[in-house]
Parts: sequence; C-alpha cells; structure tokens
Amino acid sequence: MLSLSNVDSFYGRSQALHDMTVTAPKGEILAILGRNGVGKTTLLRTILGLTDRSEGVISLDGEEISARPTHERARAGIAYVPQGRMIIPDFTIRDNILMGGFAAGGPRRIPDIVPELFPYLMDNLDRPGGVLSGGQQQQLAIARALACKPAVLLMDEPTEGIQPNIVEQIEEIIIRLNRELGLTILLVEQNVTFARRAAGSFVMVEHGTAVETGRIDLLSDDMVAKHMAI
Amino acid sequence: MSEILFIGLSLSSILLLIALGLSITYGAMGVINMAHGELVMIGAYTAVLSGIYLNLNLFFALPLAFVVSALVGLGLEKLVIRRLYGRIIDTLLATWGVAIILQQLIRLEFGLSFFGIHIEGLGPGLQNMDVPAFLTQPFEIAGIPIQPYRSFIIVVTLLLTLLTWFLMYRTSIGTQVRAIMRNPQIAAACGIDVRRVSAFTFAYGSGLAGIAGVLLAGFKTVMPDMGASTVVDGFLVVVVGGVGSLLGTVLASALLGQINGVFAILTNDILARAVVFGVVIAIILWRPRGLFAFKSR
Repeated sequence: MLSLSNVDSFYGRSQALHDMTVTAPKGEILAILGRNGVGKTTLLRTILGLTDRSEGVISLDGEEISARPTHERARAGIAYVPQGRMIIPDFTIRDNILMGGFAAGGPRRIPDIVPELFPYLMDNLDRPGGVLSGGQQQQLAIARALACKPAVLLMDEPTEGIQPNIVEQIEEIIIRLNRELGLTILLVEQNVTFARRAAGSFVMVEHGTAVETGRIDLLSDDMVAKHMAI
Repeated sequence: MSEILFIGLSLSSILLLIALGLSITYGAMGVINMAHGELVMIGAYTAVLSGIYLNLNLFFALPLAFVVSALVGLGLEKLVIRRLYGRIIDTLLATWGVAIILQQLIRLEFGLSFFGIHIEGLGPGLQNMDVPAFLTQPFEIAGIPIQPYRSFIIVVTLLLTLLTWFLMYRTSIGTQVRAIMRNPQIAAACGIDVRRVSAFTFAYGSGLAGIAGVLLAGFKTVMPDMGASTVVDGFLVVVVGGVGSLLGTVLASALLGQINGVFAILTNDILARAVVFGVVIAIILWRPRGLFAFKSR
C-alpha cells in the first residue's frame, strides 16, 4: 500500500500539490484522473522525490519514505514509467532495460516476463533505443521499470501519443501486470473507459489536490463531466 | 616534420588527461570546475615534494599524485560543489574562488610563511621535478630520434585513456555515469545513487588532472599559477569535442595539441595560441555542440 497524507510539493517557489491525500491499495490499480496541468504528473514525481521539495508524509507499506532520496525510493520498490518515456536514445535496448536493474540489487538481468510481453525488444536488444517507434519506446520504458523488480509501478499516460493498434496491447499488458504479477499500479490516464475497466479505485485531481476519491464504481459521469470535460 | 608531430602528440596527451576529467565532470554533473587547473598544479607539486622529502622518482609520483588530487577533488565536491548542483554560474564562481585559495595555499606555504617558516618545494618561486636520467637521453630507432620523456607521456596517456574507456563502457559504475550524463532524473528513478556516483566521477577526473600535473612537471617549471592556463585549454577541448564524449575529447585534444605544437615550432607560441583560438571559434560556429555530442531527442 502506498499512501500520501497532506502532501505539498513544489517546483522552485511554485506549489504544484496542495494537501494531497490519497491511498493506492496494495495489488490494485489506482486511476489518477483530471485535466491537463492539474498535478497528476507532479503527484507521481513527488512519490519518487523528483520535485524540488515536498512536505507531508509518503509511506510505502507503512514505512515512511518522504525523507529518502529518489534512488532509495526506487530501491524500496517504486518504479516509474514517465511521460515521454525518457528512453536513452544512444543506449542499446538491452542497456536501457538493464538500467532498471540498479534498483533491483544483485546482478542486473532482464526480467523473465519481458520476452513474453515484448518479443520485439528481445529480438533487437543490440539496437539503440532511439530508433524505436513511440509504442516500442513505451514497451521499453515498461520493461525498464520491470527490471527494477518493483512492488509499485507509476505509469504516466502510457498510451499517450501511441498508434491505436498498440494502445490496446499496452492496456492489456497493464492489466496483466496487475492481475498476474500483483503489482500495485498508479495510472495517470485520460481514457475513462479504460480506467473503469482496469482500476479498483480512483482519485480525481484538480488544482493540485484530490477533489474526489473512492472505489472505481463510484466514479460517476457527473464527476467526469465536472472535472475532466474541457 | 615527424619530430614536430611527435612533440605535438605529447602536448595533445597532456591536454587529453586534463580534458578527460573536465569532460566527464561537466557531462555528468553540469559543473564547470574552474579549480581543475589547480588539481593539475597540486599533482605537479606532489611530484616535486615527494622527490624532495620521500626521495621518490617520477614513477612513484604518478600514483601518489593521482591519489592526492583525487582526494582534494573529493573534498571540493563534498564541501562546495555538492551544495551548488544545478546552479552552474554559482559553481563556476565558487570553484574559481577555490582555485585562488589553492594557489595561495601553495604560494604562502599553507600560511607558514607568515611565521617565517619556509617549506622547501613550496612558496612563490619556481620548482623543478627531476626526471630519471634514462628518460632524458634521446635514442634512435631505425635512424629516427626518439625523445624518451615525450614517448613516456604518450604511453601513460594511452594507458589511462584505455582505462577510462574501460571504466566508462565496460563497468557498472561507467554505465551509471553515462546514464546520469544523459538523464539524471531517470537515472535516480532507476535506483542509481546520483550523488555517490558523481562524487566518484569527480574524484577520478581530479586524479587524472593530478597525473597530468606530474607529466607537465617533467618539462615545465612548476609554479603556483601553472594551472590557470591549463583549465582554459581543457575547456577548449571539451567544447570542441562535445560534452561527455570520450572519442570527441580524444580527437579534439589531438587536433588542438597538434595545431599548438606545429605552429609553436614553425612560428612562435603566441601565434600558435591565436591559431588554436581561431580554429576553436570556427568549429563551434560550425558545430555548436562540438564534434561528437551525443544525439538527444
């Protein structure tokens, strides 16, 4: 279980999260919903300690991690699939995946599930990450996160800017990672239909704070219209 | 002509050792370390002092200078640079200040000269390092005169460049350094301890500067402000080669060292400097990110 209570987060002097309280139940998908620019990405970055400063309590399975540096949070089991993927273009696909291994400890290796999920990556391990298409880079970013041997996966709009035929594939993979590997997933998502299908609970974000939160079946069309319609 | 190129090559070698450290630290940490030249100077003084007090020759001075400069670099990182990450102008000014302090520490003999105590080998004067006799006697191979000391510089640099390549591209810590160079945030999110790796990187680059200092001491006089000009040359190499590129740093130092060497012998030192600066300006106009900057999307 990953929980934030009364968390404020800052970039320089501007505050991006206000009094954010939210819990991601263990082994479930938490959908993080809201319009662009309301703080969804900041929420994920704050969990990893990637904003300039934050206050409040963040805890993972009852252990407080708010004071720890980013790499220790990663080693504690939180992996990140960032917006824009952040693949290292001149590293090979193998090296990109193995980067995640620094969080896992022990000898770095490609997780067993990766060949099954992403056969294309396994067939092209020695090619540079930069030559991949957007969808393939997303797969690579997920493989890298899995190499961290995470308990919690933070995914920031994993289907954004990806060709439609791959979107469905990525969505199925997200559901498999949750159902089969038991990963807790915090999923920033614009697609409400997919969120309803995959998630167990949701949090609606506006102005950097949680305005609605609860089980996913309580996510009403009114809420969606109020907080997500443009 | 081959002799001139040989001298150029030895100049290139020292330039390379200085620039390697700068390139790695600037690439990995975004830190412009103006005190890098003083780490060269500290290496040179380590050679002078270890010769006087420990009776050690050049071969022992090399590893000793590596350790001394690396430790000073590590201290600099922990005390000053670590607190200024992401503030590039502040770091530049702060390290410049450190450079001046280090120079004065040597010039004032750690302040002891105020009390009338003189430490041989320190102070404002010029120092010399003795080079073992067998490295000073030129010999001939197949009719070509070989200057052993210059050859020695080239060999040491070659070995250290190979070592650096191995560390950067074949070890776990090198992978971490390269990951940090490209994206420190994602590196941290992948469990890489950015601070620890950066400190190691900084110490290693400082150690290379120390070795460059020892090699310089073999053919130049050692004095407190000898580092100031070397840091400028080092940054010229980094800018021309492309930040964080090992290959770029090697080729840029070869190019600039040769230009400097050839023009200095054909004309004079001052004109050679002007030509070097002219070439650097032309190259950065043509390729603002240097010859071998890695592509980023």
